[in-house]
Amino acid sequence: MNFADENFELRELQRIEGHADRVWSLAWKPGTGADGVPAVLASCSGDKTVRVWEQSPLTGSFQCKAVLEETHNRTVRSCAWSPSGKLLATASFDATTAIWEDVGGDFACVSTLEGHENEVKSVSWNASGSLLATCGRDKSVWIWEVLPHNEFDCVSVLQGHTQDVKMVQWHPTLDILFSCSYDNTIKIWAEDGDNDDWHCVQTLNESNSGHTSTVWALSFNATGDKMVSCSDDLTIKIWGSDIMRMQSGDGNAPWKHLSTLSGYHDRTIFSVHWSREGIIASGAADDAIRLFVESEDHLVDGPSYKLLLKKEKAHDMDVNAVQWSSMEENRRLASASDDGTVKIWELAASSGHRKPQL
Amino acid sequence: MDSVVDIFESSLNLEETHVKEGYNEGYADGLISGKQEGEQVGLKTGFEVGEELGFYRGCVDVWNSAIRVDPDFVSARIQKSIKQMDELLQKYPLSEPENESVSDIMDSLRLKFRAICASLNVKLEYNGYPRASDGGKIEF
Repeated sequence: MNFADENFELRELQRIEGHADRVWSLAWKPGTGADGVPAVLASCSGDKTVRVWEQSPLTGSFQCKAVLEETHNRTVRSCAWSPSGKLLATASFDATTAIWEDVGGDFACVSTLEGHENEVKSVSWNASGSLLATCGRDKSVWIWEVLPHNEFDCVSVLQGHTQDVKMVQWHPTLDILFSCSYDNTIKIWAEDGDNDDWHCVQTLNESNSGHTSTVWALSFNATGDKMVSCSDDLTIKIWGSDIMRMQSGDGNAPWKHLSTLSGYHDRTIFSVHWSREGIIASGAADDAIRLFVESEDHLVDGPSYKLLLKKEKAHDMDVNAVQWSSMEENRRLASASDDGTVKIWELAASSGHRKPQL
Repeated sequence: MDSVVDIFESSLNLEETHVKEGYNEGYADGLISGKQEGEQVGLKTGFEVGEELGFYRGCVDVWNSAIRVDPDFVSARIQKSIKQMDELLQKYPLSEPENESVSDIMDSLRLKFRAICASLNVKLEYNGYPRASDGGKIEF
């Protein structure tokens, strides 16, 4: 993949309005956006609703397909589609996580997960869709098992973080859970054997070259052997692990710090997302979106990354979330902001070619 | 020569003597008031711990009864959790308040309780103990 020879730009395809308050998070629906299936995107907001947007095959613009309301009575902070796309989980400040099912175009709330003491900040499905994880201001991480007929069993309540847990994210292929927190650490949780015995197998903190302030988000590369995290400390960090060891069930496959990208951001970075092609997008409190790629000049002690482009004033206010569409062909990025809008972007070469040579 | 030293010795050591006397008085007083205070604290803590353990004991007993009546009442996983909670309650060293494991066992009990309630979809809450979200304030 050669990003060195071309100049790239992030083209704004659409500015989606509709939410009545800040938009916190986004999720592209799996299995959409290719093979004739129109792309579908969910966004959640401080207006207590979740909106589902579908791209029109004729005009190419995203229209509001559904509004999921009258369920949460506070901000909806995070949303995530199950891997099959059949269910949508929404995490709210009202301390509940709602599970929605698409019933012929209408979304119905089929289950409500309670247990957190206060605001739920994030929700994530594992790769197979058999497990769901939530985390919140009560410093705990909950793991739920997905049972038939939309039943959910609480598998484990994990304590360990000493402050608000901002995000949970399952590894893209293995049942290993990652969480990041206001306590400046990233924790890795795994099951001991097969008996619901989940515990923290590793903590990435300052002593392992970790962040020195709140870690807001993390994301994995396509192969799952690298992870990127972003923080209030104005840096983005790249971590790596030996995937072969992880897959063989070796509990001792630790994650190590590979690289720190500093000096690129001067305000808190709220979101990072790694595209399947290897482009890291970041959304920050300075209203900008930045893209990073691995640099060709490899340093002796590991990979290095360079800034591909910076989109200033991507939004009028803080960028809360950036999310690449999982469909490779389009290099589409969605962003959500405090300004109440969602924007759809396309990464293209400035020379005018729609698809630059790779 | 000895008699001269003797005469001055007590006045030379005056400060030291007074310090010692004051210390001994304070120690004796402290022993009494400390014991009283300790009794109060012990009574209060003992009551709190007892009440909380009793609450969990009651819940576990009711759940176990329900399972005996209808074994399909709850899933195998929940049954296992209830059993684990039962074991923790048995393990709690009631007569050894200074035993280091008391806070760990209590934390595990609280977590298990929350997990079981969440799975059963019941809104049971023990209002006595401090939550992770509070600043540690309990009101009576």
